[in-house]
Amino acid sequence: MQKYLLRRAFFALGTLIGVSLIIFVVLRILPGDPLVAILGVEGHAKMAPADREALMRDLGLSDSLPVQYARWMRDIAVGELGKSFFRGDTVRDLILHRGPLSGEIAILALIISWLVGLPVGILSAIRPNGWADAVARSLSVLFIAVPGFWLGLLIVLALLFWFGYKAPIIIVQLWEDPWQNFQLVIGPAAVLGLAQGAYIARMARSCLLEVIREDYVRTARAKGTVERSVVLRHALPNALLPVITISGVLLGFVLGGSVAVEQAFGVPGLGRALVVAIVERDIVVVQNLVLLYAAIFVLVNVLVDMSYAWLDPRIRYQ
Amino acid sequence: MADPVASNPRKSTVTRRSFLKTIGAAGAAVGTAPAFLRSTAEAQETPFRDPAAKRGGTLRYGVHTAPAHFDVHQSGTVANIGAQSPMYDTLLRRDPRDGQTIIPDLAFKWDVSPDGKKYTFHLRKGVKFHDGADFTAQDVKATYERIVRPPKGVVIPRSSLFTAVGEIVVLDPHRIEFRLTEPRPRAFMLGAFASGWNIIVRKKTLDDNQGNLRQIMNYPGTGPFRHVSRKDKEVWIMERNPNYWNKGLPYVDKLEVYHMPPFSPELGAAFLSGKLDYARLMDPVSWRKAKEMPGVSAAAFNQSVVQAVFFNQKKNKALQDARVRRALHLALDKHVLVDVVKDTAPMQIGGMVYPFHEASTPKAELEKRLGYQRDPKAQIQEAKKLMQAAGYGQGLKNLDFLVREANTFKLWAVAIQAMLKEHLNVECNLRVVQISQWFEEAAAGNFDLAISAIVSSLMDPSDYFEAWYGKNGPQNYSSWTNEQFHSLARNIEREVDDNKRKTMIRQAEDILESDPPLIPVSYEQIYDAWYNRVRGQNPKTYFGIYDVVRWDQVWMAQA
Repeated sequence: MQKYLLRRAFFALGTLIGVSLIIFVVLRILPGDPLVAILGVEGHAKMAPADREALMRDLGLSDSLPVQYARWMRDIAVGELGKSFFRGDTVRDLILHRGPLSGEIAILALIISWLVGLPVGILSAIRPNGWADAVARSLSVLFIAVPGFWLGLLIVLALLFWFGYKAPIIIVQLWEDPWQNFQLVIGPAAVLGLAQGAYIARMARSCLLEVIREDYVRTARAKGTVERSVVLRHALPNALLPVITISGVLLGFVLGGSVAVEQAFGVPGLGRALVVAIVERDIVVVQNLVLLYAAIFVLVNVLVDMSYAWLDPRIRYQ
Repeated sequence: MADPVASNPRKSTVTRRSFLKTIGAAGAAVGTAPAFLRSTAEAQETPFRDPAAKRGGTLRYGVHTAPAHFDVHQSGTVANIGAQSPMYDTLLRRDPRDGQTIIPDLAFKWDVSPDGKKYTFHLRKGVKFHDGADFTAQDVKATYERIVRPPKGVVIPRSSLFTAVGEIVVLDPHRIEFRLTEPRPRAFMLGAFASGWNIIVRKKTLDDNQGNLRQIMNYPGTGPFRHVSRKDKEVWIMERNPNYWNKGLPYVDKLEVYHMPPFSPELGAAFLSGKLDYARLMDPVSWRKAKEMPGVSAAAFNQSVVQAVFFNQKKNKALQDARVRRALHLALDKHVLVDVVKDTAPMQIGGMVYPFHEASTPKAELEKRLGYQRDPKAQIQEAKKLMQAAGYGQGLKNLDFLVREANTFKLWAVAIQAMLKEHLNVECNLRVVQISQWFEEAAAGNFDLAISAIVSSLMDPSDYFEAWYGKNGPQNYSSWTNEQFHSLARNIEREVDDNKRKTMIRQAEDILESDPPLIPVSYEQIYDAWYNRVRGQNPKTYFGIYDVVRWDQVWMAQA
C-alpha cells in the first residue's frame, strides 16, 4: 500500500510539473500585452518604448523563460505564489479570500449531484423502461445538454424579474453570515450539481442494472430478503465503484464549469477571478489558479483510487 | 495684472441664490464668454449646498470593474476615478449641479494675466490631508510637476493638456503660479485644471514612492471621504472625512463603491434588486427597465469616447487614397450602426469632433451631410463614384479587419462587413482579438481595417486633435497625416479668440471629412439610474464621467 501511494504521489507530481510547464509556456507565447490592462488604453498608447521595457522588467517578464519558471517554482515552494500584476495583491490572499466560496460551491454541487443522481439512478434501474425511468432519463439528458452558464443566467433573470431578488453582490463567508453565504453558493451549486447528477444517475442506473442480474442478487432474493435490502445492501455497494470513479472525474468538470457558472451568477469566487485574470492577461494569477485547479483534480483522483481498496476488499494494491 | 473676472478678494460664504446672482452679473460683464468662465471664484466654500439636505446614511454606488492599479494620474479609466476620487480634491472643479461651470476647489480664487501666460491660484488655508499633514503649494507643485513632466517609467495621459506650461512657481505656501510658454485658450486651461483626473496628492507621498503610485492603495488626499477598507474586485468602503475643509460636507456618512463590469446585466441586476442606490454605466435593457420602475430616476449623458474604424495607410495602398477612405466612410449607415447595438450600449451619431461640443457642426446640420443622413442612398451613390474615380470600382478583396473583443465591436464588425460588401464590393475578413492583443496588433500595423474606441479628457478639440489625428498621435492608429490639418490644429491650440477658434474648428472638420483619418461609427453615452432617495445629483448635463465624481453634494432622503 505504501509503495502504491508513493508511486501515485510520484506520478501526481510528474503530472503537476507537466501541467505547470504547459501553462507557463502557453501563457508566454499567447499574443497580447498585459501593459494595456495595467496602463489603460490611453496610457499604453502614450508610453515610450523604453519605459515599456522598464515596466516589463519590473514585472519580471523580461527575464529568460527558465529564470521566470524557476522563480515561479520558488514562489510555490515558499507558499507566496507571487503577486498580481495589478494592484499588488498576492495570489495567496486571493485564494484564501475567494477559495472557500468556490470550495463550498464544488462540495455542495457534489453533494447535490449524489443526492439527486443516486436515487434517480436507483429508481430507473429497479423499474427499467417504466414511466419513471423514461422521465428520469429524459431529465438527465436535458441537464447534460443545457449549458450551465445559460441555465444560470435564466435563473438569475427569473429571480430578478419575478421576485426582484438578487444574491449578495460581494463575498460573504460561511462563518460571517451563513444565510447570506448560502444565498451566494446555492445557485451555482444547484446548476453544477444537477448537471453532474444527470451523469451520476445514468451511470448508477447502468451499473445497478448489471449488478441486479448477478447470481448473488438472485440468491438474496431467493432467500426471501426484502427488495429494499437487496438493492441497498447487496447490489448498490458493488454498483458504486464506477460511480465513485466518475465522481472524481466530474469534480474536474465542476471546477471547470464553475468558471462559467460563477460568471453567470455574478459570484466572486476563484472561477470568476480566473476569467478576469485571463482578460487582464494577469499571467501570475492565471498560472497559479490553473495549477491549483490541476492539483485539486489530481488529488481527488488519487483519493478516488485509494477509496477502491476501502470499498472493495478484493482490490489489493501491489 | 489680475484677471478682472476673477480678482475680487472678498471672502464670504455664499448661498446658492447669491452665487447664481454673482454668476449672472459676471456673465453680463464678460458678454459672450462661455458659462464656465463666468465663475468669480471668490467663495471660501464651494457653492452647492442644498438647504434641504440631511446628514447621514450610506450611499451604495455601483461603477465599473476594479482598477488595474491605484495611480489616478496614470489611469485613463473610470475604474480608478470612479472608486478613488471621493478621497481627493482638485485645484478647480466642475459644479456638480450642471457638470459644466468651473468653481473653486482647493484654489478658492484664481487670476489669469491679460496675456494669458500666467495662471495664479490662491490656495485654501487650514486644509489637511487625511494623514493630518497640512496642504500647501508645495503639494500642488509636486503634483503638477509630475503631471506636466512625468518621471521616468510614469505615463500620464493628461500631460498633453499642459504642454504649454513652462514653470510652476510657488509664490508663498498658499499661492502658486503656472507660467506658460505661450498662451492657450482660457477655457481649455481652466478645463484642464478642473479635470477630475488631476487630483492633488502630497509631495511626501510622491517623494516616498519615487513618483509612482501604481501599487500604493491608500495614499492620503484632502477629499470628503477617507479610505476604510477594500475587497479586491468587490467593494471599496469609505467614511466621511470629519475634518473636511468644506464644512458640513459630505452629507453621507459612508460610501460603498461596488466594482461591477460596465454595461453588464450584473450591474443592472444589482441595481434593479435594490442592492445599489446609484448605478453608473448601465446596460440599455436594465436602464430602460429601471426608468419604468416607481421611485427610480434615470439619465443619459454624453461621454468622451468615440467608437471608430481605423484604416492602415502604411500597409494598404488603396487606403492611402483619401477617396477610398471617404467612400468607406460614406458606405456606412451610421443610424443603422447605432441601432445595431441599442440593447448592448447607448450610442449616438457624430462626426470627427464631439457632436455635443459647442464648436462642432450641430446635429441637425450634420445629419444633412453625406455620411450621416438618415436615408443613405445619396451617400452610397457618392461612395461608389469615389471608388470608381480612385480605380477601385470593382471593390477590394481580403481586407484584414481587426476587431476588439467586446459585444459592441463584434456586432458592428459584422454589420460593417455586410455594408461594405453590399455597397462597394469590399470584402473583409473579421479577426476578433482580446483588448490587449488589439493594441499590440494596431501598434504593429497588423491590420487593414480595425475597430475600437478612443478617448480624451476634455471635450475641447485641442485635447484630442493631436492624440487622435496628430502626425505621431498615440491614438492615430491609421498613421494619417495631412499637413493642412496639422498646421490648422496647431493654430487652433494657440487661438485665444473663441469665435475665431470656432471657425477654425469647423474648417478642421471639413478637412477631416474630405480626407478621413477614421470612420466615426458613433459616440458613447452613459446611462445612470438611481433611487429617488439619492438626492443632490442629476448628471443629465454632464460631459463624461471624469469630472463630477466626488459625491460630497449627495445626500440620502431616508438617512
